[in-house]
Amino acid sequence: MNIPMYDAVIIGSGAGGASVAYTLTKAGFHVALLEKGDFLKRSDFSKDELAYCRRNIITPDLFNEYHIIAQEKNAHWVETPTYESGWSFWNGNIVGGSSNLMSGMFHRMHPDDFHLLQKYGPIEGANIVDWPITYEVLEPYYTKVESLIGVSGKFIPHPFEPPRSHPDYPFPPTKENGIVTLFDKSCRSLKMTPLVTPRAILSQDTSDRNACYYSNYCGSYGCSSGAKGSAREALIVPALSTGKLTLLSHTHVTQLFSSTKERIETAQCINTVTKKRFSISGRIFIVAAQAHESVRLLFNSASRFHPDGLGNTHGQLGKNLIFSGGGAGEGVLHTRTLQDISPQILMQPGYFFNRSLLDWYYVDEWWDGYFKGGLIEFMFSHANIISQALRHTYHDGRLQWGEALATRLQKTFTQQRAIRFEVFNDWLPTDKCFIQTAPNHKDIYGMPVGKLHIWGHSHDMKVGNYLAQKATQILEAMGAEYIYSDISATPAPNLIAGGCRFGNDPRTSVLDPNCRVHDIENLYVTDASFMPTGGSVPYTWTIYANALRVADKIVAHLHDL
Amino acid sequence: MHRRHFLILGSVSTLLPALPSSHPASQKLAFSRVRETIFAVQKHMFPPHTSLPSAQEVNTIAFLEETIFHPSYDKDIRAFVIRGAHALHQKEKGRFHIYTSEKKEQVLRRYEESEKGRMWLSRIMILSLEALLSAPVYGCNPAKAAWHALQRNGGMPEPTKKYIYG
Repeated sequence: MNIPMYDAVIIGSGAGGASVAYTLTKAGFHVALLEKGDFLKRSDFSKDELAYCRRNIITPDLFNEYHIIAQEKNAHWVETPTYESGWSFWNGNIVGGSSNLMSGMFHRMHPDDFHLLQKYGPIEGANIVDWPITYEVLEPYYTKVESLIGVSGKFIPHPFEPPRSHPDYPFPPTKENGIVTLFDKSCRSLKMTPLVTPRAILSQDTSDRNACYYSNYCGSYGCSSGAKGSAREALIVPALSTGKLTLLSHTHVTQLFSSTKERIETAQCINTVTKKRFSISGRIFIVAAQAHESVRLLFNSASRFHPDGLGNTHGQLGKNLIFSGGGAGEGVLHTRTLQDISPQILMQPGYFFNRSLLDWYYVDEWWDGYFKGGLIEFMFSHANIISQALRHTYHDGRLQWGEALATRLQKTFTQQRAIRFEVFNDWLPTDKCFIQTAPNHKDIYGMPVGKLHIWGHSHDMKVGNYLAQKATQILEAMGAEYIYSDISATPAPNLIAGGCRFGNDPRTSVLDPNCRVHDIENLYVTDASFMPTGGSVPYTWTIYANALRVADKIVAHLHDL
Repeated sequence: MHRRHFLILGSVSTLLPALPSSHPASQKLAFSRVRETIFAVQKHMFPPHTSLPSAQEVNTIAFLEETIFHPSYDKDIRAFVIRGAHALHQKEKGRFHIYTSEKKEQVLRRYEESEKGRMWLSRIMILSLEALLSAPVYGCNPAKAAWHALQRNGGMPEPTKKYIYG
């Protein structure tokens, strides 16, 4: 049987995989991009709350494909399959991955994030290490992402804004709801510096993508104008136009095979619709299936040459899994008590509430101490109607219905608007947060599922609560009511990284500084699993930038072969 | 207790009797026996003459039936919806739907006092609000009356197929 042969085989079409596919095809190489989900196009995306937010339509059925989540309770690890809990760790299994569904709040990591150990020293119980590269190495790629993916924003100088090689963003900020007037004023009254949140959303048309049309439903939905900088829209569609890309959707990779220790030769695939199994060969393999699934594939590819899994010669595979520390909070602005802006402005749908605070990214105050802080994002609470309504069905612990519920819903929807804040701080890597496979639990393809041990360091909670307190002060100054925050070690499953840490020393890392597996010469990993620490910002911009950096190395590698 | 343990345990409890089989045809038959009871609960939750469309007006039971039998719907929750309705149906000797509004209120509040009853009512509320507030293509919000009542719009483009694929 003939096995198709490509210059590169990429497993996973999200930000990490698509960036490599784009670069390699533009350089003239033949690439196979394998995605387990469907190829939904711009015209397929609608604002269907049931389909995108309330059912598993674009993620696997948890009875067929699941994870085991282990959490420590009363000094014991309790393991729960996700089909049991409903807590899904799948994040948009379609071409372009979860970048289709992101809100696109984009931040670069700060130069000091690359050497946290050097700057702050060790923290007991945490495995903090410095990155093997510096911000200066990644900066040109952060800049490349701004134009290639499309980032809209307005640079406002701030001591904790990372340095830029270009003075400002290539696109002006997206349009803003007038609430920003109230927000900015409240911040200044508290001596805080409001910043315009950069968004991976086009504010102006480009030759092949339309500007944002302010649908009021962005995060959790695919974009039907092409404005959102998804990997599909910004990278895969242009890569397809080169004629060098073979995109195989509905293709799940179960194992990587080799007849030698040093190289991978084939990927064993299964078509998720026909269930037909087949192999694909390549000169180079790139794994980018999202951190936990990439680690699972490397474990499940164990062979006589790599009995403990690929990249696991020194027992590092799956270790130092990280998420984003912090949490979220909310307050409600009521039209009857509104200051500075009119009720009509507050209730106007569509335009964004785009603000961030970096004032406590690094904390050095005589009273509070000296520690790494984080980022606070402010936005409107999601516009989803069903989800919002369901939040108001209980009163005094009892379900409401009839006239009482109808009146309450009408008042809630027409007289008030909730403001949300999200806190991003480092999730410290520890020995207690890691990924394994669960040999006794297999998916419908017969492969062991991933087991995620989730554990948050107490330091993360302390920092998260510190930041949430600052966010709360702003909501109070804005006149918000019913303010609450929830900082916990229960992470958002879409903000997952680590498990294939990169570094110079093969004994303490899985990947080398160019994200190549230490002891396998043609295997790279380009999703967020390379990150030894996560910074205190959402990961997507860094994933794009690093994958574009590694892609340049792979181009050089292919030229050398 | 985890959600699924709870739902499964429901099948052996006295309050939520077991159904003949988890086979869809058997479940369809079981559902048909309690359809009227479930719809009566929905009609009590969303009566006429409030600011929202009534369950009767938009036929929320049609959405509920189609939803719980859709392949994307959790099969254990489907069984739970039917079992919870059977329990109420049996408890009230099949007469719930003909009770007065006051009597229905009394019965449902009593049902709410048990954990399983509370969870079942919560599930019926979720399915009813999904019916009222989902996109027009799902059938219960054709004139967007519920959205208009709440002065909201569902966002453009609206879906033209159910669950992406129709």
